Amino acid sequence: MTLTTCLLLASALFSVGVYGLLTRQQLVAVLVSVELMANAANIVLVAFSHFTASPLGQVFTLFALAITVAEVAVGLALALLLYRTHASSRLDAAKEMNG
Amino acid sequence: MITTIGFGLLAALLVGSALYVVRATNLVHSVLGLGVTLSITALLYALLEANFVAGVQVLLYVGGVVTLMIFGVMVTRRHDGIVVRSDSANEVRGLLGGGGIFVLLALSILESDLPSSPVGPAPSTASLASELLGPHVVAFEALSMLLLAAIVGAIVIARRRDFGEPRQDLVTRARAAREALRVEALRAEAEAPSPEPAASDAAEPPRADEALPSTDGSVPAQEASS
Amino acid sequence: MSALLRGFVYGLLVVNAVLLTSAVNIWFERKFSARMQSRVGPTRVGPLGLLQPFADVAKLMSKEDTVPASGNRVLFTAAPLLATVCALAAAAVVPFTPDVVAADLDVGVLWVLAVGSITTIAIFMAGWASNNKFALLGGMRSIAQAVSYEVPLVLSAMVPVVLSGTMSLSGIVTWQSEHLWIAAWPLIPGLPAFVIFFLAMTAEANRIPFDIPEAESELVAGVTTEYSGMKFALFYVGEYAHTLVGSAIASALFLGGWSGPMAATMPWLGLVYMVVKTLFLFFMITWVRWSLVRFRSDQLLAICWKWLVPISVGLVLVAALWVELVPGVH
Repeated sequence: MTLTTCLLLASALFSVGVYGLLTRQQLVAVLVSVELMANAANIVLVAFSHFTASPLGQVFTLFALAITVAEVAVGLALALLLYRTHASSRLDAAKEMNG
Repeated sequence: MITTIGFGLLAALLVGSALYVVRATNLVHSVLGLGVTLSITALLYALLEANFVAGVQVLLYVGGVVTLMIFGVMVTRRHDGIVVRSDSANEVRGLLGGGGIFVLLALSILESDLPSSPVGPAPSTASLASELLGPHVVAFEALSMLLLAAIVGAIVIARRRDFGEPRQDLVTRARAAREALRVEALRAEAEAPSPEPAASDAAEPPRADEALPSTDGSVPAQEASS
Repeated sequence: MSALLRGFVYGLLVVNAVLLTSAVNIWFERKFSARMQSRVGPTRVGPLGLLQPFADVAKLMSKEDTVPASGNRVLFTAAPLLATVCALAAAAVVPFTPDVVAADLDVGVLWVLAVGSITTIAIFMAGWASNNKFALLGGMRSIAQAVSYEVPLVLSAMVPVVLSGTMSLSGIVTWQSEHLWIAAWPLIPGLPAFVIFFLAMTAEANRIPFDIPEAESELVAGVTTEYSGMKFALFYVGEYAHTLVGSAIASALFLGGWSGPMAATMPWLGLVYMVVKTLFLFFMITWVRWSLVRFRSDQLLAICWKWLVPISVGLVLVAALWVELVPGVH
């Protein structure tokens, strides 16, 4: 376990998240993919905190965790609204603003 | 030695479960898979000697975010699980995007000169606390305002739009609407035995019905989008 | 390696003790409730019916293990395991005497709360995998309840953490043995925090008057509707284990754990104190269960958000002020 392997693991997770973000159509599934990406970023922060022996990385991870919770709350509210106004939770249902 | 084996195992499980999360065709499975991924990440944090972050990860992410997401899935769809499929154009796009980003990141990580072992003892929970509530206390307080704003915003976005009339609970409204319908029907029957006005009265009830908030969530906007 | 071996031995001991106590408590509860209702309770198996729980286990083991045909087999099987494991995992950080604690984590309180929050997922999994509307309703109610009651649970657990200045459970007990117990001396933050923690813990363990996820008179048996045999037994034992471990943690956090008169000179007395306090809290829960009726789902949430959450926020503030103003707290 070196910093390099930790970062490689995190970037693998991030890429999986990007893959999910680009392929998924359901709003909640997109949110799940975004969670994966945020999680990968947190792993990087904690890994740096461990290998540089500084608590700063963990402090930022805690901030990031709290912000993610806020993001999920708003995202799910949007999903609920989308479902209520379009009777669907697919992202491409909301395309009134398409040119 | 044990650390290396543990890290390899965790890494394999982590990537495997993440792949399951983005590939699962059932959204509920996907969200539960996310719970597994986040729990394994907490184990990884424990391995990196970040006990406090690991605990918060489980408490907030697994206990909070995943629970919220399950709730979100359940209120936006029926309960037999949601099938999520992606078409092949998306598939290509996703593979290109994800693979490209991974190659880019991996190349730049392998290029850089990174320490292979910790340069000092792991930061303790106490040092984390004094860092969090010392130099970063303003950010900490700002975060609490952010959370408050996010929760209020979520409520404003998600709540039903029923402004301009007195708030009544569903039962009272339903009862009032039903009563109005009944009175209407009685009046129609008593006043005009001829079929003409009765028909026009029969067209009235749907409007009374519309005053009810739609409990099943189906909303007429479908015609507008098609 | 010796750390691993030590953890294994402690784990084995603690898990077996918790499970055995749960079994005896099931007997006790049946006897006790029978007395409250002018009945006799189990008498046939063993003296005073003491072997009744074991007979029940034998019966449950011999039952057919059914899985709903349209349900989800993997989640259906995993849910009771997860529920029981989470309930037992919290026992890892409980200090029984100054020396006997399986894992003295520096974030012990956080561990207990984190592990407890996973139980919700297990209950939801059971409700969803059963593919049964009563089970699903139970699961949804469980999520609403657990998300709400987690807030006062965490906040009231913060009161001893703030007062003692540590998150390690044995550290908190040591602080209490030096001062008076948290529920006894800092009377204004201590006692109400104990009551709120106790209520929220009862709610997390889904015990009456907070057993909305099961609610047998309205939801058949809630999430356990489709379960039979040992899977049902696991849920049942998991609920008792959750209650028992929760009582142990409440007594460690607020009632001084192993501390008491003479405990410093005779460590075994500490174990006795700890067990007595834990069993007393468990007895209180049983007592409440057979005295009160179940809350309605909306009443349950109203109690939490309108009363418990604001009060516990205030208690954390008072505790912080106490640390700041009263000399010699830390």
